[in-house]
Amino acid sequence: MTPPVRPRLLLIIGVLAALLALAGAAAAGNGGFGPTSPASPNAEGIATSFWFVTALVLGVFLLVESLLVVFVVRFRRRKRPRDADGPQIHGSNRLELAWTAGPVLILFAIAVFVFAKLPGIIDSPDATASGGPLRIEVVGHQFYWQFRYPNGVIAIDRMRAPAGRPVVLDVTAPDWDVNHSWWIPRLGGKIDAIPGRMNTTWFRANEPGFYEGRCAELCGAFHAKMLTGVEVLPQADFDEWLTTAFSAQHQADPALGRELWEGVCAKCHGLAAEGGYGPTLAAATLTNRDALETVIRNGRALPGRNVMPSVGRDWTAAQLQSLYAYLEAEFGSQG
Amino acid sequence: MAVRAESPPAPQWQRGKVASWLVTVDHKRIGILYLATAGLFFLLAGVLALLIRIQLARPDQSVLTGDSYNEVVTMHGTAMVFFVVVPILAGLGNFLVPLQIGARDMAFPRLNAFSYWLFAAGGIVFALSFFAQGGAARTGWTAYPPLSVLSPGNGQDLWILSLHLLTVSSLAGAINFIVTIHNMRTAGMSWMRMPLFVWAIEVYAWLLLLVLPALSAGLTLLLLERRFPGTFHFFVPEDGGSPVLYQHVFWFFGHPEVYIMILPAMGIISEILPVFSRKPAFGYKAIALSTVAIGCFSMIVWAHHMFTVGLSNYLNAWFMVVSMVIAVPTGMKIFNWLATLWRGNLSLDTPMWFAIGFLSIFTVGGLSGIYLAAFPIDWQVHDTYFVVAHFHYVLFGGSLFAIIGGLFYWWPKMFGRFLSERLGKLTFALLFVGFNVTFFPQHMLGLLGMPRRIYTYSEGGLWQAYNMVSTVGSFLMGVGVLVFMLAIARSRTGRRAGNDPWLGDTLEWYTTSPPPPHNFDTVPYVTSARPLSDLRRSLKERSAL
Repeated sequence: MTPPVRPRLLLIIGVLAALLALAGAAAAGNGGFGPTSPASPNAEGIATSFWFVTALVLGVFLLVESLLVVFVVRFRRRKRPRDADGPQIHGSNRLELAWTAGPVLILFAIAVFVFAKLPGIIDSPDATASGGPLRIEVVGHQFYWQFRYPNGVIAIDRMRAPAGRPVVLDVTAPDWDVNHSWWIPRLGGKIDAIPGRMNTTWFRANEPGFYEGRCAELCGAFHAKMLTGVEVLPQADFDEWLTTAFSAQHQADPALGRELWEGVCAKCHGLAAEGGYGPTLAAATLTNRDALETVIRNGRALPGRNVMPSVGRDWTAAQLQSLYAYLEAEFGSQG
Repeated sequence: MAVRAESPPAPQWQRGKVASWLVTVDHKRIGILYLATAGLFFLLAGVLALLIRIQLARPDQSVLTGDSYNEVVTMHGTAMVFFVVVPILAGLGNFLVPLQIGARDMAFPRLNAFSYWLFAAGGIVFALSFFAQGGAARTGWTAYPPLSVLSPGNGQDLWILSLHLLTVSSLAGAINFIVTIHNMRTAGMSWMRMPLFVWAIEVYAWLLLLVLPALSAGLTLLLLERRFPGTFHFFVPEDGGSPVLYQHVFWFFGHPEVYIMILPAMGIISEILPVFSRKPAFGYKAIALSTVAIGCFSMIVWAHHMFTVGLSNYLNAWFMVVSMVIAVPTGMKIFNWLATLWRGNLSLDTPMWFAIGFLSIFTVGGLSGIYLAAFPIDWQVHDTYFVVAHFHYVLFGGSLFAIIGGLFYWWPKMFGRFLSERLGKLTFALLFVGFNVTFFPQHMLGLLGMPRRIYTYSEGGLWQAYNMVSTVGSFLMGVGVLVFMLAIARSRTGRRAGNDPWLGDTLEWYTTSPPPPHNFDTVPYVTSARPLSDLRRSLKERSAL
């Protein structure tokens, strides 16, 4: 009546397969079996918590699934008649207690571990030798991210940050915009950019490099195109970039204009203004400063289903000037 | 049971094949109407799901645009939650609750018909909203403002209307269930002798009653703000509204909604496992009371959907701890079910396979929920495909597997004929394999950084590989659903079932298959939670004498 080794064999095969898969995953840079390689202390704290939970959860998973497989194999009917009753056991208080207490202990362990890790995740480290934390304002718009540095320098979609120095982000969205969510997976968890609400998060990238991210809250038709990233530079390079950008942006430099065009306008109207989701834009339109400002500031409700958001209602004069400068250089000659 | 005699015969015009279904107030027919209508929406929402998977199969596809993808995602989610899972459970509840408690019908048969027809009306509005000016709603099934307020066209308004109709329908249905269960149990059926499915429907109905008004209120405010933008400012911050307020209102409803969808499914599992193991449910009281406990806790955990909103971390900690507490009664159920299998005489028929599949899949969904409850980890995986995988493990592998198993189990009772066992096992195999192939890789996608609700991506490598695998799995499931439909079509000539083909435990198996309009001629006095198994034993003892 007892099947000999088969269930045990099944179990062993199952466990080995699972371990093999995990080992393979670990070897191949974890392949999505854990958070992508963290590059900031808060992301590390989260990843450690993740692996702690995984260890416990995997144990429970293996226990439940192997019991299930063993019971199904071991107690299947085979040649017994369908109506042969099993033992009429109604329950056991001792067992109920055991499988209440067991999960409570596991969850308690998880809670304690997570709360122990929490300060390292939410509190940005103190100022280092290279000065206090850098504060950057992050504003989510349909469908671009705008960054403003303490000296007023503006960047679109691509943030520059110094390596090794804590960067504190004040994340929000304009009052007339929608919810977005700021997320650079390797630099920590996400935080929503909600109109009328200022949220704070931080990171400290250890190594220079480019860290990709995306908007993580449905914000409309181009949610998928709201890509972003942090380019982490050595402190000296960062300082240089910041001062260069500062002087350039005070002289209506087309470099910022180009960022604005590519990050804000081109997602809907195409890089060459050839149209796409939004209509084709003629060179005459693009060089008509007044008309352009009206549309950028107020958006436009088009007949049918498209609405152009008021993408630049909060832009500075310098931003507009640099956009004009870029557009005139790029499209002016054709007109 | 003081029900006497037959009601007067129906007038001639109500006796036609179609007319008799249109005017019916019989709980069994209403139940079947619910199941059939929700089945149609399941097919619609399933096709939308396949569209999503086609669009995401490879990078930079353009089967759908950003707008149409958002419509498809929104309508898929809304349909599955509101027009498939909840009404199917309402249908099963309608069919089964009076039979299982030995009653002749629901307490308010006409209110019952009213519930169904409101649901049907809501469904029609919902389905037609694809043709609204500007297309269907496209702000996600959660419809967060400000996006849902600013979204142009009428699709969102019709979406709101359809849900308003549905909430009224569900409220009426919930009241009906509660009154029926409290007042119409047959002689001897105390609370602790009630079938576990009825326990689940009781809690389901209370949850609907307590949390649906929050949804109705939130949607009403949304509608007012959409239609009278200068006058009402609830959620858009330009004039002092708060987008976060809506999220609180929505999730105060939305989280219990998850349990509204899973508790009756668990009730189905608690019915199937003992019958096919030839044992009583292990820990009946523990299962019944854990259902109540889950119901209560489900109403105080809502903000675990809002960990990234930037609430105070003290609040986050509270919502983390209470969310974890729910895992305890849930785990209790799983262990009790396992213990029910232990030393049983397992008949591996289709309903049992679906119950076993439920156990193995729901466990994964429950465990991945722990990551989401731990809020710092949630900051990483929130709004990614990890969450998509998690809730499909709970709602598809959980609720829908239990529902399909339940359909195979109760089909003989509903129609007097079996669904084909061979096609049933094939359905199970295709759905089980297809499901895991579709949704397991989505955990990895989420951890790799893929947010939910994006209509396209450019990454190759693992993103592309996992997405392709997921799409292949979804088509396997599609084939599984086709096989299931074939089984349903064939059941018209399927094997005939007697009153009690599975040797069940509960009263619905005491009457004929299908049951007569008045359900029972007599109902035996109930002395335990398994009246039919008691009956069989006493018959056996008597014949042995």
